[in-house]
Order: sequence, then C-alpha cells, then structure tokens
Amino acid sequence: MTGRGQVRFEDIVKMHGEFSALKGVSFDIEPGEFFALLGPSGSGKSTTLRILAGLDAPTSGRVFIDGRDITATDARDRDIAMVFQSYALYPHMSVYENIAFPLEMAKLPVAEIDVAVKDAARKVKIEHLLDRKPGQLSGGQQQRCALARAIVRKARLFLLDEPLSNLDAKLRMETRAELKKLQRSLGVTAVYVTHDQEEAMTLADRMAVFMAGEIQQVGRPAEIFAKPNSIDVAAFIGSPPMNLLPARLADGDVIIAGHRLKTAMQAAGERDVVVGIRPGALRIAPDGLKARVELIEDLGDTKVLDLDCAGTAMRIRVGDESVPPEGAVISIAARPQDIHLFDPATRRRL
Amino acid sequence: MTAKRFRFVATMIITLIFLLAWVFPIVWSVLNSLKTDQDVLAYPPKLIFQPTLEAYRDVLFGSGSILPNLISSFVISIGTTVITMLMAVPAAYALARLRFRGKKFAGFYVLATQMLPPVGIIIPYFLILRNIGWIDTYQGIILIYLSFSLPFAIWLLVSYFEDIPFEMEEAAYLDGASRMRTLWRIIIPQVRGGIAVTIVFVFLNAWNEFLFAVVLSGNTVRPVTVAMFNFVSVEQTLWAKLAAVSVLAMLPVVILGIIAQKNIVKGLTVGAVKGGGRR
Repeated sequence: MTGRGQVRFEDIVKMHGEFSALKGVSFDIEPGEFFALLGPSGSGKSTTLRILAGLDAPTSGRVFIDGRDITATDARDRDIAMVFQSYALYPHMSVYENIAFPLEMAKLPVAEIDVAVKDAARKVKIEHLLDRKPGQLSGGQQQRCALARAIVRKARLFLLDEPLSNLDAKLRMETRAELKKLQRSLGVTAVYVTHDQEEAMTLADRMAVFMAGEIQQVGRPAEIFAKPNSIDVAAFIGSPPMNLLPARLADGDVIIAGHRLKTAMQAAGERDVVVGIRPGALRIAPDGLKARVELIEDLGDTKVLDLDCAGTAMRIRVGDESVPPEGAVISIAARPQDIHLFDPATRRRL
Repeated sequence: MTAKRFRFVATMIITLIFLLAWVFPIVWSVLNSLKTDQDVLAYPPKLIFQPTLEAYRDVLFGSGSILPNLISSFVISIGTTVITMLMAVPAAYALARLRFRGKKFAGFYVLATQMLPPVGIIIPYFLILRNIGWIDTYQGIILIYLSFSLPFAIWLLVSYFEDIPFEMEEAAYLDGASRMRTLWRIIIPQVRGGIAVTIVFVFLNAWNEFLFAVVLSGNTVRPVTVAMFNFVSVEQTLWAKLAAVSVLAMLPVVILGIIAQKNIVKGLTVGAVKGGGRR
C-alpha cells in the first residue's frame, strides 16, 4: 500500500466570479501520510479538498496524484474515496448495499464484494447493522457506515471532510483515536479537512493552515504550535489562543506596559512588534508584568485566568496550586524562549 | 365547556360542513345511477326505492355502450402519463441540477405555459391538428395533452430533485458511478414518492380533461368525459344513465387515489423529515 497516494498541488487558483477562493495554493503530501487541511470556515480548505476529489475544477494550476496530472480527470476515474460531513449515505439502501455500492460500480464479482463488505464493516465495528437502513442508525453508526463505504475499496487516497463535526464531544474523542488507528493499519494516505485545531493537532502527521484562500504554514503539528510563522496562525492554533499584544522591541528585550521582558532575540535597535505568549507559557512570578485578575474560568484540572494588563486583555493558564482570587493584582513572567515576536506590518514571524 | 373541547367540536362541525358539500353530489350520483328514470324524476325525491342496475347494463352493454369510450380514455391517459414521465423525469433533473445556457429561461417557460388560458389556445391547437390530419386521433389528443401535462410534471418534479443534497450525487461519482447510473440508482429511488404523486396527477388531469377533448376528438377517439354528453340532449336528459357513466368514470380515479394515498402523503412531506444521512 505504501508508495501510493502521493499528492502534489501546483499553484492552484480557484475563482468564484470575482471572488478568489484559492489564491495560488501549492503543497505536497507524502504516501501514507495523515495530512490535515486546517483553517476557519471560508479559508479555502474545503475547496482544496473538492478540487483534489475532482468535484470542482481549479481556475488555474495543476493537481498530481502519484506523479500523474489529474487536473482534468473525472472524479470517478481518480480512484479516491471520500467521507462527507453529512455522510451522504444512500437512504434507500441498507448499510450492506451502501458499503457494497463502490465495489458494484467497479463490477467486482458478488462473492468478492460480500467478503470485502463484511471485512470493512468489521473494521469499523458495524457488522451487526448490515441489514439496517441509514435512517435507523445513530449519528455515530452512520459515520462508521460512511467510513466503511470509503475503506471498502482500496482507493489511492482517502479524503475526509469534517467527518467528526456531527458527533457529540465524547464520541468525537473516541472516534478520533479510532480513525487514526484505522488509517495507520490500512497504511493509506488520508487528507482531512477540519476547522478544529485540536482535531488537526492530534490526528495529523503534517498539516497545512489555511487563511483567506492561502496556505499560511505547512508542517508537523508540534512544529506549527511551537513556531507559528504569522500572527494569524499563532492566534488560530492553541486553546485558549495565544496572547498577542503590541509592544516595543529594544535591544532584544520587549517592553510591555513599561515592563521589560527578556526574549531569545539578539537584535540591536528599537522597533514596534507584536508579542505572542501562550497562556500555558505564562507563570506567576515575582518581579514580572503587573496584571489584575478579572475572571477565573475553572476547567477542572487547570484554570484559565482572564487578566487586565494595563488595558490589554491577557490569559494565563495555571494549575490548581496558587490560584489568586478575582480582583487580585498579580505579577506574571515568561521564559525568553516562550516569547514569540511578529512584525505588525507584514504579520510574519521575526 | 373547556377551550380545548370547544375547539374540537368547532373543528368537527366545520369539517362536517365541508365533507357534506363534497360528498353530496357523489352520493346523489350513486343513488341516481341505481334508480329507474321514473324514480330519478319523482318529486319529492325518493329516498327509499327499489335499486336497479339497469342503467349500468344499458351504458355498458346497450346500443350506445360507453365501453369504447372508457378504453379511449384509458389509452389517452396512460399514453399521456407514460410519455410525460419519460420526458419530465430527465428534464426536471436537468433543471434542478445541471448548469446550462438558458436554464432560467427554460424554467420560466415551463411555468409560463401553465398560465395560458386553455380557451385561448384551443383554436390554434385545432387548426394545427387539422392541418397535419391528427384530429380525432390518439396521437393528436395525446400530443395536445402533453403540452400542459409536461410543464406541470416538470414543475412538480423539480422541487423533489432539488431536495436531494448535492453531496449524495458527489458521493456516487466518487464511488465510481456515471451520471446516468447515479440518476437511476441513487436519485430516482429517493424521489419515487414525488414520481408517484406526479403520475397520479398527470393521469387524473388527462382522465378528467373535457374542454380539449370535446373539440379535438371525434367519432373514432372519444373519451368518456365527452361521451357522457350523449345522454344529455335537447329533448331530454337520461339522468340515470348519466349518473351511471359518471360513477364508472369516477372509479379509476378513486381506485388510483386509494392506491397512491400513502405515496402522496409521503411525497408531499419529503424533505420535511430529517432522514438517514440526508442533509
């Protein structure tokens, strides 16, 4: 199975009339990789997936699968399986018939279809539901049925369009883990669209962050979390999101509200910057930035404090120990390596 | 009396009034069809009488039998329905799904034909059919019936096709199905309720049609709606026979209605219920 499912996007542009949904998108996906397309709604991630599937045609640019230019190839000739957000199960067919449909279209002999359908159903644990109609299944079971229909055919590529968004929180977590195991055991290349950064972080081997029709950053989730290359990516990845505040950079120190913080940056001279510090990287420490506790959000194992730091809102995540009361004035600090610096004009990382 | 109870009683009374207004002519026809001509004209009307099937025997097997007319009606209605559906299903699908030049115009044209008053176009239709020699022929009447049943059927079916999510079709394409296969295996089974409703309406419209039939038919092809009028003449109206023919003409309509009832209700509520994986 490895060696199949390599994808290359070359400068893909998609126009909807005057509006450009994709402004020249390029990336590569390696065989066997779990690749996430992450971004807020309207950022172009779904359009990218639809172009890959062949459901939409790009305005310009080329798409390759396994080295072959498939930009003009029909969706049904691309050998791609897809799980839709709505599942798109055929309501008039039983679960068995739904799963068998792609094999039937491929004109496989009935005996082979039967073996494959039962095998796929077993992999997603719905073998006891084969006689039911989709309408008689719960949301989670429908989702599994859609998965089975996608994996039954050993397709070159496996596309998933927000497949977990219709499940409740608990089921979403369980299915997430199973999805990852399934992808690994099958060894297929998976392309996964989501607006949920946590989903992308946990599932993906690598991911592309989309904003306003462009890719902001491609890389391993940990890499992107550690080194977001723009203000927008920094604000999007991580929960609660990164604190971003305007500051002055002077000889490698940033000055926020009159207080100096050391950074890892070695630079002479002065300039305006945007400072980014993750709520989890902030610590309560003496001699730091003074801030007032406005609100305490208790998440159980951790607490998130909403702070007012000389008129700028900030957040800090702390453990159970040493939680100051609301209204208290505390002093906060961060290690130099945890301070991200961005250019306010270009919005890129410094 | 509680408000709830009052509402119930009021609803029942209003329903009853409507039901009576609707059911009275039918009951009256059925009763008259079972009377002799003398009993029909008796005054005050006889509610208790000796029922007889004489009128039915006469209209079915007598000298002026309407059997050929019933057959004509069937041929015309079934022919119209079959041809209409064969053309309307793909047309409605195309209007609901495909993008093509003049789609808006085509959609409007389909509706516009429904707005023409029939009386206004009956003479042009008559002249056209006469010129091509199709007056008093099945093909002539069916052709004219198509001119209004087809737009109606397309218009009705489009909404059913539009109810099917795009993703359903896209899933089928990715599963390797062609457009025709998708239409046949995925789309049509899901709009079968709508198709059943449309079949019933098209058949009924053709079966009940009178205005065009009276002008465009003749001695060879004369549907039962027109033939009925043989029992009405200047000298006298044969009420019992007229009633018997009415009842016979109503029968297929009633039977079809009963068979299709379940589908009609289902068809009218399609999309209202959030079914498995739809939307």
